[in-house]
Amino acid sequence: MNVRLLFRILGMLYVIMALSMALPVAVSLFYGDGSQFGLSLAALSILAAGLFMRNFMGVGATKQLDERESYWFTAVIWIAVPLAGALPYLFTGAVRTFTDAAFESFSGFTTTGSSVLPMLDHVPEGLLVWRAISQWIGGVGLILFVVALLRRLNEGSARLVEAEFSGALQRRLHPRMKRSVLLMWAVYSGMTLTLFLLLLADGNGFVDSLCTALCTVSTGGFMTHSAGLAGFSAFSMSCITVFMFLSGINLALLYGLLKGRWRALWRDEEARRYMSIFIVSVVACSVAFCIADGLSVRMLAFSVFHVASTMSTCGFYTEAPTVWPTTVSVITFLLVFIGASAGSTGGGLKIKRLLITGRYVRNYFVRMIHPHAVLDVKVDGIVVEEQYVGRIFSFVFLYLLFAVVGALVLTFSGMDMSNAFCMSAANISNLGPSPVFNNLGASLDYIVLPGFAKWALMVLMLAGRIEIFALVSLTIPAYWRGRCCH
Amino acid sequence: MLVCLVPAIFYGDGTALGITLAAALTMSAGIAMRFVLRGRRLLYSDRRLSYAAVALVWLLLVVFGSLPFLFTGATHSMTDAFFESMSGLTSTGATVFSDVETLPPSILFWRSISQWIGGFGIILLVLAIVPTLHINRHSLYTAEVSGADNTGKTSTSMRGTVRHTLVIYLLLTLFFVIALHLSGMTIWESVNLTFTNISTGGFSIYSDSIARFTPLQQYLLAASMFLGGVNFALLYSLFTFRWSRLKNKLDQFGFYVALAAISVVGIAVVLYTHDGIGLDEAVRCATVQTLSSLTTTGSLSADTTQWWTPVLLLMLLLSFCGGMAGSTSGGIKIMRVLILFRNVGNTLVNRLHPHAYNPVKLNGKPVPDDMIVNVMVIFFVFCATMLSGLLAFLVCGVSSTEALGAVVGCLTGYGPGLGSCGGFGSYALFPMVAKWICSVLMLLGRLECMTILILFLPGFWKI
Repeated sequence: MNVRLLFRILGMLYVIMALSMALPVAVSLFYGDGSQFGLSLAALSILAAGLFMRNFMGVGATKQLDERESYWFTAVIWIAVPLAGALPYLFTGAVRTFTDAAFESFSGFTTTGSSVLPMLDHVPEGLLVWRAISQWIGGVGLILFVVALLRRLNEGSARLVEAEFSGALQRRLHPRMKRSVLLMWAVYSGMTLTLFLLLLADGNGFVDSLCTALCTVSTGGFMTHSAGLAGFSAFSMSCITVFMFLSGINLALLYGLLKGRWRALWRDEEARRYMSIFIVSVVACSVAFCIADGLSVRMLAFSVFHVASTMSTCGFYTEAPTVWPTTVSVITFLLVFIGASAGSTGGGLKIKRLLITGRYVRNYFVRMIHPHAVLDVKVDGIVVEEQYVGRIFSFVFLYLLFAVVGALVLTFSGMDMSNAFCMSAANISNLGPSPVFNNLGASLDYIVLPGFAKWALMVLMLAGRIEIFALVSLTIPAYWRGRCCH
Repeated sequence: MLVCLVPAIFYGDGTALGITLAAALTMSAGIAMRFVLRGRRLLYSDRRLSYAAVALVWLLLVVFGSLPFLFTGATHSMTDAFFESMSGLTSTGATVFSDVETLPPSILFWRSISQWIGGFGIILLVLAIVPTLHINRHSLYTAEVSGADNTGKTSTSMRGTVRHTLVIYLLLTLFFVIALHLSGMTIWESVNLTFTNISTGGFSIYSDSIARFTPLQQYLLAASMFLGGVNFALLYSLFTFRWSRLKNKLDQFGFYVALAAISVVGIAVVLYTHDGIGLDEAVRCATVQTLSSLTTTGSLSADTTQWWTPVLLLMLLLSFCGGMAGSTSGGIKIMRVLILFRNVGNTLVNRLHPHAYNPVKLNGKPVPDDMIVNVMVIFFVFCATMLSGLLAFLVCGVSSTEALGAVVGCLTGYGPGLGSCGGFGSYALFPMVAKWICSVLMLLGRLECMTILILFLPGFWKI
């Protein structure tokens, strides 16, 4: 195990984290919310830890990674960074226990959006900004940060990125790894900045605009008020809806959009499915709402917002309509499982995986009648290898296994079964809060949960965010032994 | 089509006029069909026709099986009769009768009989009794116990296998009837309960399932469920002292026993510590309930609705796993679960050594790739069916917890769900559409989804 490199990468991430906390500190000084000491203390301790790791423990690391290490690194980094990110919550006194702080931090970095903070309106502004930043960093991936910054980390960096962000590299923006990662970052930051400026121009407060922009583009879904987005104007809401929708699309395709390659969006099978599922769900939801409560523009707008929020697994909510038909819950519950596109910041099972699985199952049916038929699975006209299909099936199995075992652990805290399943689904899909679950009879009240349930939810969030195999590899003995021989 | 006569023969047991009427109708329909279909031997040579035939035979049997309920006035709704008949013949054990004691004995016996027949698999009976019917036998057999791939074979010929299996089934039934009678049950009770438990069905002649019986009787019933969930070929080699063949099934059996043992201990501990049930009762309840759910029987030794949620969820998970392949139980089958788990491990290890030959192994032998694919596809389809069933229930207006219980209960063949349909409750209060969905799910679960779903594949008749 290349421990030195691990420390080097981790140290670097800590330093980046600490530096990014300058913004929350500045905000809290400006607003005088009293959290500046806690935030600075957290920033300084993370900075110290980071520098120590980078300059002492990580000295002389060879910049090579093999298969085994890429999974371990991803898993370890994704556990260590959110744990450090919990310090600000603890030091500012926003939460009492470390478990709560870690929960909030994991929910942030994995872009889930579940929260244990009571009464958001009283949380200091600086901390709100830190929550949003953690989502923004986690949205496009911790490893992507490192790959863009670490010099000469070429061998194995693609593996690392793939372990964290599956599907990101299937459509490379540039032959060089580092350049394509930088381009992804540029698209990501550009989108955030655009949304931020739009929201600011519409007359929203600085903190509201900043946090909402950061959390929309990362499909995180932390909000700045207990009432959700209810306070935003119609224009802001439509901007947010559009950006949520865009965030569910592969970043590489978005880059193509900027370059004027509109047609690529339609030629890409996954994006096409994404859009058609979106349109069908919106139509179905609005019809259901219309039948239940009469035709109104507000309902149509809400349907679009709601579907975009669910499909991108953003998890924003606003004032929900008084009448909520079960059909809408059912449709959106399906969307929770489907999730966004591969290579986007959204979660869920991902459309591409379901596309491949569905086609394979269809072929299987055909083979039941014609056992010797030669059939293959094609996506975008390219044959998907049998081995890859097998991996996807295993992935789906693990995903469901995590969700169900997670629900089982949750029931030990005394909640009823539908609540447990809803919580589990909400967190493994990185969706976070959604009115769907409340209408299925779940409370999604995380504050009252005992510690072990919160840790179980954190594992679920992580399993939904990073490649699930990376997490499971921690339990496979073959991954414990020393360097594997090549 | 002679198989339609088989239940009809048993109808003679009831005294009511309705039963005779139903029997007569069924018998005449059976004879008519047999008469009409005689001589058309090549009709079923096609694969897709044999899939359609399986579905059709099941549906017809269920329809005819529902006649006694209607004619004796046990229920006046077609939905309920169909539901009950489906639940019997798929050996599910879900019931729409909230108070079964009020039913006439003949109906109770018909319910037990239908499970006993269903549990063994009507197709197996078809193969044993109607060898003249020239259906593509192998594909029919695999349609019934699909994925069993040789796991159920005891002889080189299909008829031999069927005969051996049938003998084992009959002997087990006989043994438990006698044993239960000796332990103090009346003949009536012991016959009915053996029929429903050995077939892993779970109907009872009392509305409190098996809770009123003595601990010894409950343990005996648990043993019958356990044996019902064991691969019949394994039982055959065990009873005929061909122990050298046993090693071909030991992996599965070991996993089955281990899973059962761990769950028994876990549930007993929870019941003892959390629900404050006495130790001996906790152990007994845990044993019966674990085996009942793992083998998807659905017999209950206590009112489980009062138990703590984790136990209920664990029971749902166990029934999802189901018994061994090639047994009478439902669910996704232990063998598949084992392969799924091992495949994950292998996928990860193969990533480290991409060129190593490292197949998934079962009983020390490599599992062929297409079997793994088979397992994964069935798992996926099973889960997709479950999700669609769940959502369909929600649309019908069933509450989410009950919907979850009902979908698992019906699809896996466990029977009781959660909430009002769980424990000693019944599906009586479900809306009509939901009952039909239940019936469809039971059929899908029994025939492992693929056989039925393929009929609805777009272009099934064209490709």
